[in-house]
Amino acid sequence: MTTHVDARSGYQYKTGTNRLGLWLFILSDAFVFGGLLVSRFYLLGRTRPDLSQLLGLIVTSILLLSSFFMNRAETAIRFGDKKGFLNGTLLTITLGTLFLIGVVGVEWQIAPFSAGENAAASIFYTMTGFHAFHVLTGVILLVIVYRKGRKGLYSAERHWAVEAAAIYWHFVDVVWVFFYPALYLMGRIAS
Amino acid sequence: MEERANEKKLELFRLGLVVFAILAVLTIGEYFIGVIAIDWTWPLWGIALLKAALIVRDYMHLPRLLSQDEEDHS
Repeated sequence: MTTHVDARSGYQYKTGTNRLGLWLFILSDAFVFGGLLVSRFYLLGRTRPDLSQLLGLIVTSILLLSSFFMNRAETAIRFGDKKGFLNGTLLTITLGTLFLIGVVGVEWQIAPFSAGENAAASIFYTMTGFHAFHVLTGVILLVIVYRKGRKGLYSAERHWAVEAAAIYWHFVDVVWVFFYPALYLMGRIAS
Repeated sequence: MEERANEKKLELFRLGLVVFAILAVLTIGEYFIGVIAIDWTWPLWGIALLKAALIVRDYMHLPRLLSQDEEDHS
């Protein structure tokens, strides 16, 4: 009986249940993003907002690169490489911030329409705004993980927080994988 | 033992790099499809699905969810 209780309170067991919980959260969040994607095609059909396709490619590349470094950071801590983990996390935070600047600081400012002007404008600001909020929360999460990592709280055996932050970050990237072509590449410019 | 762990780490680093290279090529490909062929919606969906599948499998480690060993590093 004691062994049974110990097995269920062990770190490995907790990690397994935490992982399941995180994936359930991601699945539910994916439905919200899916709804936004469907709304885009319902409202705009075979047209798209008038946006800079080059800027879209640049911010997409920045986000993909951030995912690469996040993967490196997580792999590093799995093998006890704390320096590699900290460097990878810091680069991810920097690239995530650059992505936010690119979308909210640049794209939102140069877009030739305001939020309530037409359907294309509304769906563009809703989709990018909702996604940017997730990027912002991901960056905040990564800053927390980085600060804890600097204090030496993670090891090869215990680093669930790092894995969770990484999964969340990659999920934000997956969402953009669909939003980018839907907003910047598919269809003719809406008049 | 430590040497083996190091080799495994380098192997996973390489896998991450290969996945990133594929994602980069696909992203550039979809950019040119979007710029040149306006009505090619289905190829763009195909590329997006492929990119998402790669990220979910290799970066988000979906197979770990089904793993028997919770801390399986394979």
